[in-house]
Amino acid sequence: MSDTSRTPVRPNSYDRTSDDIAVVGWAQTPMLRRTEKSETQLLMDVITDALEPLSLTRADIDFTCLGSCDYITGQAFSFVSNLDAIGAWPPKRDSHVEMDGAWALYEAWLRLQEGDIDIAVVTGSGRSSTGDPTLIYPMEMDPYFLAPLGADPLTFAALQARAVIAAGIADERSMAQVAVRSRGAGDVDALLTEDYLREPLRRHDVPPITDGAAAMVLVRGDRARELVDRPAYITGFDHRTECHNPSFRALDDSPSTRIAASAAGLGDAPVEVAELQAAFTHEELLLRSVLDLGDEVTVNASGGALKENPIMATGLVRIGRAADHIFGGGSRALAHSTSGPCLQQNLICILEARS
Amino acid sequence: MARFVESTITFPYKRSLGPVVGAFMSALTERRILGIRNGDAVLVPPMEWDPATGAELAHEFVEVGPAGTVDSWTWVPVPSEQHPLDHAFAFAFIRMDGATTPLLHAVDCGSADTISNGARVAPRWKGTRVGRLDDIACFVLGEEPEIDGEDTGPSDEPVGRMDYVASITYRNPVPLATDRAVEASRENRLLGATCPVCGRTYSGGKGYCPIDAVEIGPEDEVDLPEIGTITNYSIVTPVQYPGQTETEPFVRAFVLLDGTDVILPYQPVIELPHDEVHVGQRVNAVWASPAEQLDDGGGMGGAYGNLLGWMPNGESSIDDLDLLNRIF
Repeated sequence: MSDTSRTPVRPNSYDRTSDDIAVVGWAQTPMLRRTEKSETQLLMDVITDALEPLSLTRADIDFTCLGSCDYITGQAFSFVSNLDAIGAWPPKRDSHVEMDGAWALYEAWLRLQEGDIDIAVVTGSGRSSTGDPTLIYPMEMDPYFLAPLGADPLTFAALQARAVIAAGIADERSMAQVAVRSRGAGDVDALLTEDYLREPLRRHDVPPITDGAAAMVLVRGDRARELVDRPAYITGFDHRTECHNPSFRALDDSPSTRIAASAAGLGDAPVEVAELQAAFTHEELLLRSVLDLGDEVTVNASGGALKENPIMATGLVRIGRAADHIFGGGSRALAHSTSGPCLQQNLICILEARS
Repeated sequence: MARFVESTITFPYKRSLGPVVGAFMSALTERRILGIRNGDAVLVPPMEWDPATGAELAHEFVEVGPAGTVDSWTWVPVPSEQHPLDHAFAFAFIRMDGATTPLLHAVDCGSADTISNGARVAPRWKGTRVGRLDDIACFVLGEEPEIDGEDTGPSDEPVGRMDYVASITYRNPVPLATDRAVEASRENRLLGATCPVCGRTYSGGKGYCPIDAVEIGPEDEVDLPEIGTITNYSIVTPVQYPGQTETEPFVRAFVLLDGTDVILPYQPVIELPHDEVHVGQRVNAVWASPAEQLDDGGGMGGAYGNLLGWMPNGESSIDDLDLLNRIF
């Protein structure tokens, strides 16, 4: 490593360095309906799996940021035991977000821009099989007007689906088509005869419950080019949030997604692929519309969150899939992550190859 | 095959309401629904700030209703235990007459065929109201509010706080290493595990080395000495929060096992009054009789299985203040 790569940059020079930070590798655990492993064990495996192909060890990591959720684990300070997975001795620079690992990546991306360190590992992890999402998630809603009603994710998704359908952005058939394409299984006509889970949503419109974790290696400057031939450079990264209570939002739109995409430079050049964290079928159709993605853009070739939805890792996996596109020879990809009811908060990450 | 255990956690929150939500909740006890003026708009539910700009709103309340119109809805065929009704119902965005924004609430209307956008609904009030959103039991079709049972009237004082309780049952795997440590304790053995990479030894069924981040299997497990020294301790004066079972001050001690670097944290002490515990005290492990056996126990890494705690063994105390630093 050259000495200059460790020269601290001034805090106001974010713009100069922000195009020189790249994803160089990532890994995910098997995505299971219920794993026998603890979250810590999942992270031990997946961090090793992300580092080994790069010939890196935990000792090489300058900064870690983990994304997870105590409410899902059912244990206060569960992220503390997750630290056992990062080899935190001698003591490391570490942070945690009670958010999807995509936001952990955002924090690491900011941290690397300080210019004094080169290698960060971020994770997202969750064992959604621990409890009933219908009972857990209302606790994270508005405590006065939503939580006391037990307002659950399916209900919010159904109300947003109604709005998206009413706006002409989706219909039940196009939603079923998203489900069939994502899962690579099922027949649209047959699916449309099923009962509603929450009208207008049927079971195929709804994500599975998945346990799993992902880990990603983010590297700055020359170090990235030393590690891999084709780093996936983050050239745009932004996230925005809207009002917490869907009562005050236009549910047939996602202005936070639009603003984040604009700030991340989506309009500067075409993307070949987009990985969208759309856990519900109508969300993919709404996000495609808001991001103005045409048919030439391959959306969620991985199957997305409708196929595997390891909550707290689902968004980071989207960024991993987009990075895979760059690693595999692609030139520009978009990844999206979301948090909160009815796409409350949205994150856009643009990844590019560099010639 | 790992074993799974269920545990139910109750989250009993007491929430401060503040000047705007408090006014709304107080009005509910009077069977009135308040919005707050935001320019030309009337926000229901009321907010302290403009949702778009974040500007603080003047406390100019507007009574809305008593009926409203369904803006959108979905049908809940199988309610959860947290839902307002125990039978199928609609969740709906309800725009109260005079309001600009919709309130989410339940509509009790029998079947999905009876509700549609534009349907008129009115609140069914609970007879006894405490200043919570569910003072409105639900909404019903039509223009006329209803009351469930005898009306015990409004709150005597403004409502400033609300209770919120959620109870969640979690199902988590028990690591195999934990089960092996508990099993060993049934034979009055204190099981340790030695990292095959760095050689450090851990206790209490920790199935991996946190420094090398590798799993430790049964082949690297060892029996630990059952004698040690108290390095540090805390005397806990129990606060009677919900779920607290202790009533008297009690000790949690850190025990360094002889000839090892193993420290057992948060250990109970036995036959050792809390005003006599001290650093350097020599202690032996105390094992349960079959009648005293605990379940898995081990919360916060404390006693588990047949290990009940630690008792003074009569040896002279060790006079070494550096022991204080040995808590992990």
